[in-house]
Amino acid sequence: MNTYVLSKDHLKNLALELINTGYKVISPSKDGRRFVAISSADDLVINSNLKPSSVSMKEFFFPKTETLFFYKRNKDEYDLIDAAEVNQPQIIFGAKPCDTSAIPIVSKVFNWDYKDEFFNKKVENTIIVGLACKFADENCFCTSVGLSPVSEKGSDLFMIPLTENTYACKVISEKGKKFVSNHSKIFTETIDGKSININEIKIPEKRFESKEVKAWLDKNFNHKLWDKLGENCLGCAQCAFVCPTCHCFDIVDEECNHTCGRRAKNWDACQFEIFTKHASGHNPRNEQDKRYRQRISHKFKYYTEKFDEILCTGCGRCTRGCPVLTDIGIILEDINQLAKESISNN
Amino acid sequence: MKQLIDISKELFESKQVGYIIGYAEDKFKRVKPFVAYSSLDTERFVFNNNSVNNLAVYLTRLPKAKEGKIGIVAKGCDIKSIIALIQENQIKRDDVIIIGVNCNSVVNQIDEQFSKENTAIKCKYCQVRTPAHYDYLVGEIKEVELPEDKNFAIMQKLDSMSAEEKWNFWEAEFEKCVKCYACRQVCPLCYCEQCIVDKSMPRWIDSSATTKGNFAWNMIRAFHLSGRCIGCNECERACPAEIPLSLLNRKMGMVAINEFNYRHGTDINQPTLIGNYNVNDKEDFIM
Amino acid sequence: MENEKFEPKIVAFVCNWCTYTGADLAGTSRLKQQTNARLIRVPCTGRIDPVFIIKAFEKGADGVLVSGCHPNDCHYNTGNFHARRRWIFFRQLLDFVGIDSSRLYFSWVSASEGKKWVDVVDGVINSVREKGPFNGYKKLNKEIEIPVK
Repeated sequence: MNTYVLSKDHLKNLALELINTGYKVISPSKDGRRFVAISSADDLVINSNLKPSSVSMKEFFFPKTETLFFYKRNKDEYDLIDAAEVNQPQIIFGAKPCDTSAIPIVSKVFNWDYKDEFFNKKVENTIIVGLACKFADENCFCTSVGLSPVSEKGSDLFMIPLTENTYACKVISEKGKKFVSNHSKIFTETIDGKSININEIKIPEKRFESKEVKAWLDKNFNHKLWDKLGENCLGCAQCAFVCPTCHCFDIVDEECNHTCGRRAKNWDACQFEIFTKHASGHNPRNEQDKRYRQRISHKFKYYTEKFDEILCTGCGRCTRGCPVLTDIGIILEDINQLAKESISNN
Repeated sequence: MKQLIDISKELFESKQVGYIIGYAEDKFKRVKPFVAYSSLDTERFVFNNNSVNNLAVYLTRLPKAKEGKIGIVAKGCDIKSIIALIQENQIKRDDVIIIGVNCNSVVNQIDEQFSKENTAIKCKYCQVRTPAHYDYLVGEIKEVELPEDKNFAIMQKLDSMSAEEKWNFWEAEFEKCVKCYACRQVCPLCYCEQCIVDKSMPRWIDSSATTKGNFAWNMIRAFHLSGRCIGCNECERACPAEIPLSLLNRKMGMVAINEFNYRHGTDINQPTLIGNYNVNDKEDFIM
Repeated sequence: MENEKFEPKIVAFVCNWCTYTGADLAGTSRLKQQTNARLIRVPCTGRIDPVFIIKAFEKGADGVLVSGCHPNDCHYNTGNFHARRRWIFFRQLLDFVGIDSSRLYFSWVSASEGKKWVDVVDGVINSVREKGPFNGYKKLNKEIEIPVK
């Protein structure tokens, strides 16, 4: 597929046109801390050097609270009323590979035995414009989970900086191709995709082998490492709520008044004590070490077994935001080290 | 930090403590909480401007030591929350050994370099750089440059606003809340076995992160800490949505001072404010 | 709708031993009062968690009245003293987040003060009627209400 050259002015014009035609245009905020829907093209932020936002962009596909349907009492019966369909097209600019790749990863669980139309509809309505990433700190490990700062996974269009003011914009998906042809006034100048120099983008070193980590997790459900990890963790769910791939949810009924209410899908997290608490009072994951083990195992073992994907994009958000600085990267390195030791011991 | 390590070793060798909660650096030189179980572990102890965590939270989270007491490394402000826990009968004074540290102010944003601009606002009004209460004292007091109190202007502005303007201000802030309850989990004084938001029969506070549910949660959190919060600001630091929770806590702290001349966590023998009453409390608002 | 006269909704949390009995006395004495207040009987003012008051506002109350025994008259000796101290904080918290605390009324009404109860309720209703509806939560409730087509 084609590769186009876009300048910053092109992008601004594109954003302006999209805002005017009813798109929800999403970009990193000015301080880069979160993704926001912008109302003016001047607020568009395209910067490969930005640190990953503190909260991921998953809320645009999987909102923190979402109505599934409403109910209304009608004498002795209940009428069910569908939630208003969201048809607004969205476009996301400035998403890093560690953001975009999360969408196809979690799509698998949302389309496994039950197809989640709420998630699918939003993905369908969204054009994701990925952006090559030039930022790397000690918390990043995208290369260790099979991605890289230039992965195109999950993007419809993918931009790579050429000069300070111009970007190469690769067309990745059919959806992206259609989008480009609809905005042919902006996508005019093409370039040979192979001629783009990506050597300038530093690829961080691999920190651990995810296969070895999984092999270790297969055998070490009970290990003293978990006790140590549970000790520091305070059991807040900040890590799960900022994570681009964490997708657990809770379903609650909420009354509006005594005659009507709604059923809602809310974010939930395995780090909460009540997450696994049974009605009987029994709690199979009653201690923090068990809950932390679940977090790591779900991401690197269970999900891999079921869907052949690692449920982690190596963005490092959970570490940056953790109040006690529990570093998932270091933990995985440690596990990898333990795995190597156990192999050499045998 | 030799002083700190020496005292910790001594405590282990004389079998006075089962474990000591302190700070250690990881491989990237970041300071984080660390529990030492032996005198060998204490070699890792550090204390510097990045020792921002309030370790008192672990006193009610970790199991009791099998033998001996619990040792804890604490700054002046953290010691206030230890005293608060003792005042509220959550721990016994005899069960803890407090290694107080002279504190030369701590960092605000932990992922950035410590500087005057990046100093926690709470340090501005700190009265306890040398802790008021301790078993051992380590470290030296140095001259520090104090940060600007950006929140004071916000508080003043809020006070001059109309009810509707204030509501709009908080609506914009609470709208961001994702209900991760990190504010609750990092709080040393949020030690309830079961939090009111986790109770579902009846459900008083909506579990959905709607703005309405967020209002209820954040108000009740602030209310449950009123007259109790000692201002360590861990809640605000932990909040991924960056809601200025310290403003709420600060307001409630000011009420405690203005109405009752009370500061929680300053005196071990003082009865708590909210758990007690005075027949002469003001009631000019009651018909 | 707009031309309709605004009638405030008042939720009154009253203690079983004094104010509820006082309100009962007002009824048996055939005293006339306005009917905008819905009474909720609780054992003691000390039982009133501020979350009840928040819930009342959430559910559409324009004003809330809290009433119990006079100081030193509490059936449980100290319930109202504890409650009073909490209210000092709670009122200022409401003001700080933008819920006008003058929509929250407190009174001591004993079992023998049927007349005082009528005056208090009428006074509260008139005062809230003057203030007009409380709109803060009405907007937020839209999030969870069935959308009007």
